[in-house]
Amino acid sequence: MLFGLFSTADCHPDLQADCSVCALSSTAAKYRHSNNMSNSIAQAHKTVDQLRFEAQIERIRVSKAAADLQAYCEQHARDDPLLVGVPASENPFKEKKSCIVL
Amino acid sequence: MAAVAAEDTELDLDALRKEAETLRSRLEEERRKSNDVQLRDVASKLELVPPLQMKVRRVLKGHQGKVLDMDWSTDKRRLVSSSQDGKVIVWDAFANKQERVLSMPTTWIMSCAFSPSGDIIACGGLDNKCTVFPIDKDLENPERKRRTIAMHTSFMSCCRFVKSGYQILTSSGDCTCALWDVDSSQLMQSFHGHISDVLCLDISPVHCRTFLSGSSDKTASLWDIRTGRCVHSFDGHDGDINGVRFFPTGESFVTASDDGTCRLYDLRADREVALYTKDCMIFAATCVDISKSGRLMFAGYNDYTVNVWDVLKCVRVGRIYAHDNKVTCLQRSPDGTAVCSGSWDTTLKLWA
Repeated sequence: MLFGLFSTADCHPDLQADCSVCALSSTAAKYRHSNNMSNSIAQAHKTVDQLRFEAQIERIRVSKAAADLQAYCEQHARDDPLLVGVPASENPFKEKKSCIVL
Repeated sequence: MAAVAAEDTELDLDALRKEAETLRSRLEEERRKSNDVQLRDVASKLELVPPLQMKVRRVLKGHQGKVLDMDWSTDKRRLVSSSQDGKVIVWDAFANKQERVLSMPTTWIMSCAFSPSGDIIACGGLDNKCTVFPIDKDLENPERKRRTIAMHTSFMSCCRFVKSGYQILTSSGDCTCALWDVDSSQLMQSFHGHISDVLCLDISPVHCRTFLSGSSDKTASLWDIRTGRCVHSFDGHDGDINGVRFFPTGESFVTASDDGTCRLYDLRADREVALYTKDCMIFAATCVDISKSGRLMFAGYNDYTVNVWDVLKCVRVGRIYAHDNKVTCLQRSPDGTAVCSGSWDTTLKLWA
């Protein structure tokens, strides 16, 4: 409770050396600081671990990735109803045209 | 003593920060080196995509509020949609009929999902939970059998069943994703790494060991479902990532973002390989899906339209004036014959 209520700024500079409240307050500040520090260290460790992990991944060139993408599209183009269209009789969403007898 | 310890930790922190910087520059350099060519240039010799013949085939009316999400059933015929009005509707899309209307106790159901077996629906949103309902044909009152299986500390943005149907993946405004067992409601794995709301997820179509998440921290991440580890992280967008979808090979994916662009990322090249945008496009892209062959990309936008892109040539090949309000969700049917879009105009439409 004390930690949040007082800060050394509340105390006159000439008195701070003898002030017990200031002593407590600065210990509290150091405690908060070291708590924050250990959180930051943990976070920094996590970040570095993740970056190390990502750095050792083997990468291929975009030219290879692009070629593979293109090959897949070409290979499957025929089976893509939205690309090549399917006759109304086969597509359940297209209305079947009925014959009109004139 | 305390002062010395504090100084040590400061030095450690400094060293770690320096190492992080070095690693980041190294990663950037590696990614730059692999960027030897542009996808659109590789595809320049390809024939143009045939002119699109898509028209609206069904208009599903029934919600009284904004439609926020939809999911197809594996039977290619039914779909489920959820809305701001607190209702989850199961539709027979062929017949344009409402099969079930489920009422949730809260409004803003931001996500809904169909189980692979077709007899369970999952949904949730601002209630921070994921709830499941059995919907077998003979069940009279599904609301009575509903169960909560996931709890987050902020809104649930997306839920999707894993292929087996025994587990559900959720993403949340609490910056995490989580994997839950459907029967026991146990948390199986949680995924930490994003620094802001996670808005969308997509499970790999190929092996189900990985999934993607998109976040308002402007990054998309690939996760190992078993270990909880973030395998890759991709940046590049200038705004929240609202939608992610795997390419059919599972080796690339597309994203839709608040910055008005969609992008294609390749997992093996570990970088962005294409950008889909036009100067006049300033409205957020909210949802995205890819056709069966991977050649066409459909994206829904806040300007009420769905734009169709040639994935390889990186050009727009169609513009559908789809709805009377923002398009919020879009999904291709499992057999690739149709695309369903949902909107703030309270309707869902089927295009084929």
